[in-house]
Amino acid sequence: MLARIANNLFWMGRYIERAEHTARFTNVNYFSSLDAPNKLSRDRQFVLKSLYEMVGEEDFEKDAVLVEEEVLYNVALNPEKHYSILQCITYARENANSSRDLISNEFYEAINTFYHSVVNYSKSHFVTRGLHDFTSHIIHQCSILKGKIRGTMLHDEIYALIKLGVNIERATQITRIIQIKYSDAEMVTSEKPKRLKKSFEWTTLLKCVDSFDINRRLYKKPPTKFTALEFLILNPNSPRTVLYCLNQIQMHITLLDPLKAHEKNTAAFIIGKMKCEYHYKTAEEFQDNVKEFITYTLDSLVEISEKLEEEYFYH
Amino acid sequence: MEPTNFKHLFSSYDSNENLFDEIFDKDQNVRQVYKKIFELYNGHSIDDFVNLNNKAKTFFFNQGITFQVYNDTKPKEKIFPFDLFPRIIDAEEWKTIERGVLQRCKALNAFIHDIYHDKNIIKAGLVPMELIGSSANYLTQMVDLDPVAGIYNHISGTDLIKHSDGKYYVLEDNIRCPSGVSYVIYNRNALKRSLFGVFNHYEIQPVVDYSENLLEMMESVKPKGVDVPTCVIITPGVFNSAYYEHSFLAKTMGIELVEGRDLLVENDFVYMKTINGLKKVDVIYRRIDDGFLDPLEFRKDSAIGVPGLFAAYKKGNVTLVNAPGTGVADDKAIYTYMPEIIKFYLGEKPILNNVHTYHCSRPTDLKYVLENIPNLVVKPVDEAGGYGISIGNKLTKAEVEAVKKVILENPRKYIAQPIMSLSVHATYIDECQSFEQRHVDLRTFTLLGRDKEFVLKGGLTRVALQKGNLIVNSSQGGGSKDTWVLKK
Repeated sequence: MLARIANNLFWMGRYIERAEHTARFTNVNYFSSLDAPNKLSRDRQFVLKSLYEMVGEEDFEKDAVLVEEEVLYNVALNPEKHYSILQCITYARENANSSRDLISNEFYEAINTFYHSVVNYSKSHFVTRGLHDFTSHIIHQCSILKGKIRGTMLHDEIYALIKLGVNIERATQITRIIQIKYSDAEMVTSEKPKRLKKSFEWTTLLKCVDSFDINRRLYKKPPTKFTALEFLILNPNSPRTVLYCLNQIQMHITLLDPLKAHEKNTAAFIIGKMKCEYHYKTAEEFQDNVKEFITYTLDSLVEISEKLEEEYFYH
Repeated sequence: MEPTNFKHLFSSYDSNENLFDEIFDKDQNVRQVYKKIFELYNGHSIDDFVNLNNKAKTFFFNQGITFQVYNDTKPKEKIFPFDLFPRIIDAEEWKTIERGVLQRCKALNAFIHDIYHDKNIIKAGLVPMELIGSSANYLTQMVDLDPVAGIYNHISGTDLIKHSDGKYYVLEDNIRCPSGVSYVIYNRNALKRSLFGVFNHYEIQPVVDYSENLLEMMESVKPKGVDVPTCVIITPGVFNSAYYEHSFLAKTMGIELVEGRDLLVENDFVYMKTINGLKKVDVIYRRIDDGFLDPLEFRKDSAIGVPGLFAAYKKGNVTLVNAPGTGVADDKAIYTYMPEIIKFYLGEKPILNNVHTYHCSRPTDLKYVLENIPNLVVKPVDEAGGYGISIGNKLTKAEVEAVKKVILENPRKYIAQPIMSLSVHATYIDECQSFEQRHVDLRTFTLLGRDKEFVLKGGLTRVALQKGNLIVNSSQGGGSKDTWVLKK
C-alpha cells in the first residue's frame, strides 16, 4: 500500500464523514430553530452564526448581520469555500480517483454519481426552497457510500485506512458539535443559569448526530445536559459517540500493523491509551468542567491524527 | 401494434458506393456475418434505441469511464462516445490480421534491437542512417543495452484500416504507450448489458483476458535473480487524459498504480514508498514518455519521473515496459520501410499492406508531395492523437500553400500518404436518431514477452463521428464500437 494513496484513502473517509455532519448540522439547526421554545433559539442570526462556527468560517464580523442565503450557499455549495459540502465531496472524489484501482467499482460508481449530483445542484433552488432536500440527499448518499465501503470492499488495510478516516472525523465532528451546542446552550440560558441543565439545545445537539431517539430509549426521559453528554462521549454501544469511535480507531489501526500497539509513542499506542482512559471515565468526573474536557478531547484527536500522518503517510 | 413514431433504424441510411461498407455489399445486400444482427436491430424502434443508447452513456459516465479534454480553463471529463452496433470480423479475416500484426511487431522488435546494436540493416543499405540519427525518439543511452529477453515493444497498438479494395492496410504502428484497451473491455460490457439477447446468436471471442495476459507478459520479463516480481504501472497522474485506463489496468491486474513521487532509487534498485516502508519494484509498465522517465538522464524539468530510474534499468535491476527508445520505430518515417524491415529480419513477405508513404526528406518524394498536396494526407512523423494532420482534399488554396511552407521548413518532420478511403460502418448518430455511414479504423493490441505472444481478439474500432471526416482519434471527437471477432 503506497503511503501517498494511504493518505488519500484516509482523507477520503474524513471528507465523506465531514460532508454528512455538516449537512445534518445545517438541517437540524435550521429546522429546529423555526419553532424553538425560546426567542434566542428562534433567532435566525443565532442559528446562522452557529453554522459558521461549525464549518470554521472566520471571515465575518462577529456583530455583522448575516444574510441567510449567503450563509447557506457558503456552507453547502460554494466551490470557493474549502469547508463547503460541495468541496468535501469534490475532495473525497478526487481522493477516490487517485485510488480507484484499489476501491470497488460499486463504491467508485456511487461516489462518482454522488459528486455529479452535487456539482450540478441548482444554487437558486437550494437557497430558497431546497435546504431540506439537499441536506437529506447528502446524508442519504453518505450512508450509501459507507454501505458500499463496508459491503463491497475487502476488509483489509485499504478498508482500515478509510475507516480510520471516517472514525477520527466522526469523533472530531461529534466533539465539535458538542462544543458549539454547549456554548449555544450557555448563551440561551445565560440569564437563568439553572435552566442550562434542561435546555432545548440538548435535544438539538442529539439530533445533530442522529441520536435523539436512541438517547430517549436509553434514558426514558427528555435529554438533559448530563444524559446528552454522558451518552455522546461515553456510550460504547452507539456508533455515534466518541468512545465508540475510539474503539473503532484502535481496531483499524491494529489491522494496519498489529505489532505497533506495543511500541511506546506510536499512533496505535496513543489511541489504545486514550481508549482505555475514556472507557473507565464517568460523566460525573467532567460535568463541572465540560468545556475543558471537550478541548482536551479535541486536542487528543488532533494528536492522533498527526501521529498517524507522520507514521504512515510520509515515507 | 407498432408505436406511432415507429421508424426503422436504417430508414435514412444513405449509402455511398465509392466506399467500402462493412455491412452492405456492392448490391446493397447485408453481408453474411451481419445478417442476423441486422435483422435483430431492424426490429427495434428508434425509441428503444434512444433509450438504450442513453443508458449506455449513463453507465460510462457514472462509472467514470471518461477521458480528460484540455482546454483553456480546467480539464473537462468526457465519455468516449460509444454506439450499440458492433463491428464484426469473421474468424478467417481475423486470422490474417492476427498473423499480420504479430509479424510486424516481431520485425519491429528485431529492428529496434539492431539499430541499438550492430545496425546491420543500415549496413545493408536498406534504411538510411540519417533517418535513425535524426529521429527525436532515438536514445543514444540505449546503444548496446540488452533488455530482458531482448524485448523492446512489449505492448503494441497497430492501427488498421480497410480500403475501398476490401483489403486491410496498416496506418500506424504505436509502440510507445498505445492506449484504448480499457474501452475495448468496457464497450463489450456496455453492449452486453444493453442488448444481451443479441449475444445468443453469435459465438464471440472474449476480450476480458487482456489484463491476465498483460500481467503474465510483465512477469515473464522480470529482471535476473528475481523470483516473484513486483510489477507496477507508473502514471503521470489523475489529470492525464488516459488516467482512467491506467487505473483500470492496475486494478484488473491487482498491482499498484504509482506516480513518480511514489518511487525512489537507492543503489540502483527501485523502491516504492509504502505505509510499511520501502518495497522493491521489479517490472514497471510505464505510461509516461521516454523524456520524462528520469530527470537525471533525460529531461531535467520532468516532475513526473524518477531520478536514477534509467541507471537502475541499465544495471538490469528493473524492467521498463516498453523499453525506452522504442519510439524510434513508430516514427512514421520508419513506417515507409516496413516491408523491407519485415523481409530483412524475418525473411517473410508482409502479410498486411503498408499505405504507400512519401517521406519528405527524400528529394523526389518531396517534389511529388509539394506538387500533389490536394491528393495526399500530410502527417508529422512524431505527433500522436491525430494532431497536425492535413487532409489534402479538404484544404483551401491558401491552406495548401501554408502546408507547403511548413513542410519546406522541416522536410524530415513530414510524411505524406495517398488519401485512403477508410471503410464505413453503420453508426448510431444522436442528432438524426438513426444509423448513418461513418468511417472506422481498428486498433489491435499485441503483447510480446519471453516466449509469449498475444493478440487481443477484438480491438478498438474507432469511429469518425462527423460525416465524411476521416480522423477517428478520441481527442478529435471520435467515437468507438464494440468489436467482435467470431469464433468460427
